[in-house]
Amino acid sequence: MNRSNCSPLRAAVTAVTILACCVSTPAFAQFGAFGDLVGKAKSVGKVGESFRKISEQEEIKMGGDLAALILGAAPLSRDSRTQAYVNRLGRWLALHSDRPDLPWKFGVIDSPDFNAFSMPGGYVLITKGLLDRMRDEAELAGVLSHEISHVVLRHHISALQRVLRNEGLSGMQQYFHPVGGGLGGQFATALMNAGRTMYTQGLNEGDEYEADRMGVVIAARSGYSPFGLVGVLQTLSDKAADPAYALDVKTHPDPVSRIQQLDAAMGTKLDAVPGVVENTPSFIELRTPPKAPAGVKKRPRKGK
Amino acid sequence: MAEAKVPKILCVALLLFTSAAVAAEAGFAIHAADLMDQPFIDATKTGSVVANEHVEIVQRQGAWVRVAAGGRTGWLRNLNVRMGTATLPDPKGGTNTSFLTTGSSGRTVTTGVKGLDEENIKNATPNAAELSTLSSLGATPDEAKALAASDKLTENQIDFLKKGKVK
Repeated sequence: MNRSNCSPLRAAVTAVTILACCVSTPAFAQFGAFGDLVGKAKSVGKVGESFRKISEQEEIKMGGDLAALILGAAPLSRDSRTQAYVNRLGRWLALHSDRPDLPWKFGVIDSPDFNAFSMPGGYVLITKGLLDRMRDEAELAGVLSHEISHVVLRHHISALQRVLRNEGLSGMQQYFHPVGGGLGGQFATALMNAGRTMYTQGLNEGDEYEADRMGVVIAARSGYSPFGLVGVLQTLSDKAADPAYALDVKTHPDPVSRIQQLDAAMGTKLDAVPGVVENTPSFIELRTPPKAPAGVKKRPRKGK
Repeated sequence: MAEAKVPKILCVALLLFTSAAVAAEAGFAIHAADLMDQPFIDATKTGSVVANEHVEIVQRQGAWVRVAAGGRTGWLRNLNVRMGTATLPDPKGGTNTSFLTTGSSGRTVTTGVKGLDEENIKNATPNAAELSTLSSLGATPDEAKALAASDKLTENQIDFLKKGKVK
């Protein structure tokens, strides 16, 4: 587009120039995106299709706020060893996706329930209840790769766009690029409400199948059995009545349909991927209970 | 055939000495299929299962699971096995409401204790301090590669899969 024709941009640039002494340099760079979005929006007043075109930086900002929402429901585990391990595994998997350079952040939530969540921009949260129920590390790699796929394919953007399209465009712009004014707060409130809906209703069914198909390949590319995710789906196929799985069950297609969709896509293509494993020494060590600290002796049993 | 007459005790012994063995899990065949004597597509057929037939999964090995089914044993495709109840849920029915109160706990699905359920998320407000902690996590590509190298993980070049047609 020809930015010089965009009068709101021009007015904004003028205003920023006048106030240059108290506006930080990055604010200038952000006006480019502002101009693009104003021009591309079908209606200047509404978010409309503009939401689909948000930049990577905007995805990251929004993803962080949505992660804060889930963490408002249950906090992170304080087990720093596990957090570090999950981040190294998660990043390794993400390096085998089409968006290896996002600032990927993985977190284990302190909840006994079974669930996994992801947010735009590279945030992935799994519950401790999920981690504890994995048969092996390939299952965990399958779950993380499924979530990574949602992020890579921008599935959340599609889900949120359906809800946010009628919000005010200027509010969205002020949310992403705050330069004073209060409309950004209104958009943030709408985004949090959209997030509550998305994380309790689920994504598009076809998007779940797509994340399954991509997830098994990311796991196999990274050296893990692509059948780990299949094992997780088999576990889920028996958990429709288990309260710990309730939200995961509600927000995903029927697990048997997911297995059948994967079967149709995989066939025997991933039967003989060389060198894939179910577990690594690191995972086995992580699962081994720590030994009693040195110097602490067991009390001898009576009678011996 | 001999394969079918393997006594249960021997299956248990096999379980103990096979690294990929799992505690036997109750499952069902999703569709009718042949049981094979080895975990390969071109292995010898030892029998067959019908759709929704009960199977005991005694071992998992990549694309295959070793099962016991009505006195027969053999290998089935991993992607042909599900857990759950004898009747398949209605694929059009979404969440299977008839299952909601039949769990062993007797509780309904919305009454998770101390958990992360629908109500928790509906009532959640953003926690900036926890986000700050999450943001302090993360691993660099080099840190991830170092762990993968020490764990001797093998990288593979594999194309993403196209959507398939469910039979």
